[in-house]
Amino acid sequence: MDAIETTNVTRKFNGLVAVAGIDLKIRKGELFSLLGPNGAGKTTLVRMLCCLLRPTAGTAFIMGHDITKESFKVKGLIGVSPQDTVLSERLNCWENLSLVGKMHRISSEEVRECSKELLQTMGLMERAGEQVKNFSGGMKRRLSIAMSLVHDPAVLFLDEPTLGLDPQARRAVWEHIALLKKEKTILLTTHYMEEADSLSDRIGIIDEGKIVALGTPEELKRDFFTGCGMVIRAEDIPVGIMQELCGRYARVERINGGVEISHGELDFHEVVEYLFSRGVIVSSATLKQPTLEDVFIQITGKKLRE
Amino acid sequence: MRFWEIGKRNLKEIYRNPVLLGFLLGMPVVFMLVFCSAFGQGTVEPVRLSVVDEDQSQASAAFVESLERIEVVELWGEVYSEEAWAKEDMEAGRISLYLLIPRGFQDAAAAGQSVDLGVVYEGADPMAGLRVKPVLEAAGSQFLGMPAPVNVEMKGVESKIENEIVNFFAPGIIVFGLMILISVTAEVIAADREKGFLARMLTTPAKPWEFILGYSLPFIPVLIASTLIYLGVGMAMGLTIVGNLGHAFLIFFLTGLSAVGIGMIVGSLIKSESQAAICWVFIVPLAMISGAWWTVEAMPQGLQNFAGGLPFIHAINASRSVINGVPLSAVMGDLYWLVAWAVVLFSLGIVFFSKRMVG
Repeated sequence: MDAIETTNVTRKFNGLVAVAGIDLKIRKGELFSLLGPNGAGKTTLVRMLCCLLRPTAGTAFIMGHDITKESFKVKGLIGVSPQDTVLSERLNCWENLSLVGKMHRISSEEVRECSKELLQTMGLMERAGEQVKNFSGGMKRRLSIAMSLVHDPAVLFLDEPTLGLDPQARRAVWEHIALLKKEKTILLTTHYMEEADSLSDRIGIIDEGKIVALGTPEELKRDFFTGCGMVIRAEDIPVGIMQELCGRYARVERINGGVEISHGELDFHEVVEYLFSRGVIVSSATLKQPTLEDVFIQITGKKLRE
Repeated sequence: MRFWEIGKRNLKEIYRNPVLLGFLLGMPVVFMLVFCSAFGQGTVEPVRLSVVDEDQSQASAAFVESLERIEVVELWGEVYSEEAWAKEDMEAGRISLYLLIPRGFQDAAAAGQSVDLGVVYEGADPMAGLRVKPVLEAAGSQFLGMPAPVNVEMKGVESKIENEIVNFFAPGIIVFGLMILISVTAEVIAADREKGFLARMLTTPAKPWEFILGYSLPFIPVLIASTLIYLGVGMAMGLTIVGNLGHAFLIFFLTGLSAVGIGMIVGSLIKSESQAAICWVFIVPLAMISGAWWTVEAMPQGLQNFAGGLPFIHAINASRSVINGVPLSAVMGDLYWLVAWAVVLFSLGIVFFSKRMVG
């Protein structure tokens, strides 16, 4: 039995298709990431799997329980960390954790023990007695994840767990998620390719409500990206030349001290000669490993952050 | 019990929120302090005045006729010849204020002696008696052509009231304070919806009825505590509870329940916490037309009828009466309105809130 199984799950809002008949199987203990831009349908799919939205068509099973017919059983098995850091702002960490624990009918003693462990793991113990409204975004996010774990759920939904966090806080959250791998089945939604790449066992790329590619990060890069990329180190490439490059190649991104270019067929000499001819001094030009974003662009024809 | 945990959380969110508490407690308390200490000369007009003419003389009839020309007084009903009939009508709630022209009025006037006119008012509305006194004194002087020949004795039904102005204002301000629960309830529900907290809680196995109880029950201790604080401040300012405090509390409780019901409806309809401010667009006008700060007789009849269809005017009338010593049986008409509104509004609140729990 798979931990999560969806069959033609569909959701429409006033005729607009947000999720278009997704079939998905996620194994127990797997960390599966849904990677896609804003509005791709990630959160709508998660909301349906958490029994917050009824599918317009199709259904899904969580640990063998139908989300439409056995929603309260499903709710007892899942933990959810929503996209927005949703906490009770005037409660402290203990009270927030206790509230979720009590909703799952866990005894006060068990909640206390579990909360203690989670607060220590998440590095929140020192400020556990403070009202959370004064916490930083990273601390709130860690508490939000702790709240989704307090009742020891079998399946964990992490909806954009690092959205809006600074790089340092993002890495801290990744470390905590990595600790949960194998212990729980995790469905993580993100539009950060690095997050999906480093954490996931498998990734589903979602666009316009459909899963357009599915596999391990390596499989996706190997099977779906047929083009090539290069990194050019050059000082001060003028805006005009950047614009010209954007017009010639599929993906052009300014990086610190140079430019990254990806394209289906890329003639390295041609690129370098073109830059020389425009007066740009190129210090180095190297091959670039494809990223999930390259894969996404190749499949959908658009950038992840669009 | 999950609903208990949700309720506890909501209660903490309310009493740990200084802005919300400031509105809920601060504003009515300030109103109470300002109105009770600053306003002693209410002059809302016209006053519905009935007349008992025991003298049945030409002079008394002419005096009554002269009263008809005074804009601030509206003569109400037939002129009684016996005070006992007027008292009977007052007890039945048909009149609330009458002028007693005693026997010997014509003789005293002819002899140039002072005349003792009596003004009897229902304890529930001492302001009407207070307002009419200077008017009658002036009318009597003008009619008899003598300087201050009329001694108007105020004979309120209840003489235990220490400060009639405070006893008039305090119940109205308490009802206004309870109306603020509309905004507080709407804000709490809208905030949890807007920020997604309600959705997060809905991913737990708690049942819809547990959410309904968890989001409505916390307001009951809030409304009880608010009422106690308002009453305490009112009493500190001179409010005299002549009647049954329990009955007054029942009226305030039903008022608060109606307010929470409206708040649940509004909180379920609006999309964000900030939109809860829209409640003030109708809280203040409702308090005004319900007579929280003045008597409603001055309003156009249409507006009075409109206010009469809503719960708050009944809450104010009934609480003023009961606090001033009128038995609950005499305000059953107001009480029925209040019970009906509380049941309807609270039920509608639950229906609207329940709809927000369906995806």
